[in-house]
Amino acid sequence: MTPGRSVENALLAGPLVLFLLAVLGFPTVLSLVYGFSETGFQTLTAPEFSGLKNFRDVTADPTFWQAAWFSLRFGAITALLQCGLGLALAVYLAPLARAHGWTVAILIIPMIVAPAMMGLMYRLVLHEFAGPVPHYLYSWFGWSPSFLGPANVFKTVVVAETLQWTPFAFLLFLTAYQSIPQDLREAAAVDGTRPWRLFWKIELPLMMPTVFVALFIRFIDGFRVFDNIYTLVGAGPGGSTTSISIYIYETFLRRGEIGKALAAAILLFATAFVLLSVAQRLLRGRAP
Amino acid sequence: MAQLRIENLTKRFSGQIVTRDVSLVVDDGAFCVFVGPSGCGKSTLLRLIAGLESADSGRIFVDGRDVTDAPAYDRDLAMVFQTYALYPHMSVRDNIAFALRTAKRPEPEVAAKVAEAARILQLEPYLDRKPATLSGGQRQRVAIGRAIVKAPKLFLFDEPLSNLDADLRVHMRLEIARLHKDLGATIVYVTHDQVEAMTLATKIVVLRDGRIEQMGSPLQLYDDPDTLFVAGFIGSPKMNFLTARLQGGYLSLSECDGQKIRCPEPGLALADGAGVTVGLRPQVLGRTGDQSLEGMIEIVEHFGSDSLVHARPAGSTRLLTALVDNGRELASGHRFEARFRTEDLLFFDQAGQRIR
Ligand SMILES: Nc1ncnc2c1ncn2[C@@H]1O[C@H](COP(=O)(O)OP(=O)(O)O)[C@@H](O)[C@H]1O
Ligand SMILES: [Mg+2]
Repeated sequence: MTPGRSVENALLAGPLVLFLLAVLGFPTVLSLVYGFSETGFQTLTAPEFSGLKNFRDVTADPTFWQAAWFSLRFGAITALLQCGLGLALAVYLAPLARAHGWTVAILIIPMIVAPAMMGLMYRLVLHEFAGPVPHYLYSWFGWSPSFLGPANVFKTVVVAETLQWTPFAFLLFLTAYQSIPQDLREAAAVDGTRPWRLFWKIELPLMMPTVFVALFIRFIDGFRVFDNIYTLVGAGPGGSTTSISIYIYETFLRRGEIGKALAAAILLFATAFVLLSVAQRLLRGRAP
Repeated sequence: MAQLRIENLTKRFSGQIVTRDVSLVVDDGAFCVFVGPSGCGKSTLLRLIAGLESADSGRIFVDGRDVTDAPAYDRDLAMVFQTYALYPHMSVRDNIAFALRTAKRPEPEVAAKVAEAARILQLEPYLDRKPATLSGGQRQRVAIGRAIVKAPKLFLFDEPLSNLDADLRVHMRLEIARLHKDLGATIVYVTHDQVEAMTLATKIVVLRDGRIEQMGSPLQLYDDPDTLFVAGFIGSPKMNFLTARLQGGYLSLSECDGQKIRCPEPGLALADGAGVTVGLRPQVLGRTGDQSLEGMIEIVEHFGSDSLVHARPAGSTRLLTALVDNGRELASGHRFEARFRTEDLLFFDQAGQRIR
């Protein structure tokens, strides 16, 4: 590369770097500073460096580990459910979607609703005394599960998240499914392949990169879950639906332990980052 | 190996007829070529046989079994696609083995058959590669390998050579001819290239607008075409057509300053003054014969052993082409007398039907 070129490159990339620094850099640096300091609302302007104390506090807090375990389970289960359902829907509805494109638009409506709104809506619909769902279950069957009670609340939030975000996986899979060249299906059919084998041996392998991407995105999104759970049940009975994000929020605002909250946030970010790198490496390794 | 029989097959795409009442028989071991200009419905007919399209009416029999309503996977055929349609995520070996594994053949048998196909098609060095890393000719051979391991009742080829360059096309044409001889398979082959049709086929079916225009052996079609269309389509270089009018035992060539050609005895069964199209193959025009046409040479293409002369009869808008042996002394600007024998003339009426 000639010197003239690198100057040109620097000029071209400069504004982008500045922009990224402003948008990402400032909050990140601030979080790092607070994360490694003794910080309360009184000392925001003059944080006092305290090394790894906040991280020690966080990792010693059983609530943190409970929240991490919740996020991990929630992310993994919802990602698997959404991708499984999304895949089945995509394959099943592909002919319909091809003939009538607007059906896809209907299916992705849940994605457009704000997750916080979703949480509030379920809160109304599932409310133990006033909600229509328990009401009709009682009047028809004389029995209704306590959707938001300790025994069922995990299932309820998993179902709510799955219903809202399955369309996302569906949309990715539909695109991947439709981009498989038709002549491969035809070649397989002439080779004697029945539909089920066609799916396992040709279609699914060709969609695998998309499956990985979808699983990963949905896992990360589920792992960081906040708004729909918080508006539906808050931290949950006995903290049972406290995700990492909810833990950070509560530590930050309810208990004012800003440094500890930010240390948890940094841990969350680092975990996501490591997962992302590993997943990317895996994906690149599989590419043909 | 098997016989294919098609009865009154018709197919429409959104109202438009693409296959029109097609009936034909392909005998056991035959090499049948569907030929015709692009868009005439060759692929559709092949896909109907494969079960990739469903017929609107008519029946298809393979070895006497009515497969008209059978799904593609239940017809026991093999097809080579124009695009090859290799499975991109599988190695060459797995591509070739796919049909056998689908049929749940035991793995030692699969391995043996794959090895055999790879040997025949010279694919042994590439068995562990992915299709994306192969050249066009190699992919083509993998596609053929995938078809032959099945030992199917019927091979279907859809323009398998059209994506190859000229040299490779000639080479693969020979390979396919050899394959047919070695396997004794029944083959149905689609092409728009009449040279491929002439060289490969034992039977040619000329399609036009979804209808069968004529079928027969390559030489039958060449020597004895039923229509102007077949006469113009089969044969290279293309047949010369001259518009003429019947005038008392002579044909007056309206486009060639009224030069006259004598009708063969006992004359054409047409009224005096009727319009006729006269067909003359470039190969029958030369230095001998009982009749002649005159013109000026515009271009000569020397092939070495013979020469293709493009001459313009006086007043004509069309060039007359003649394939002349040893025409080395011919050059543009020379006068050219194209001689021919009366019995080599072909005549077509206004509707393009042959007058015999
Ligand atoms: N799936 C389809 N839908 C609508 N029209 C089609 C379809 N397939 C082919 N056709 C039409 O049928 C005609 C014949 O097509 P095809 O059999 O592919 O011709 P060929 O192989 O002889 O070039 C064309 O006019 C084409 O546009
Ligand atoms: Mg075609």
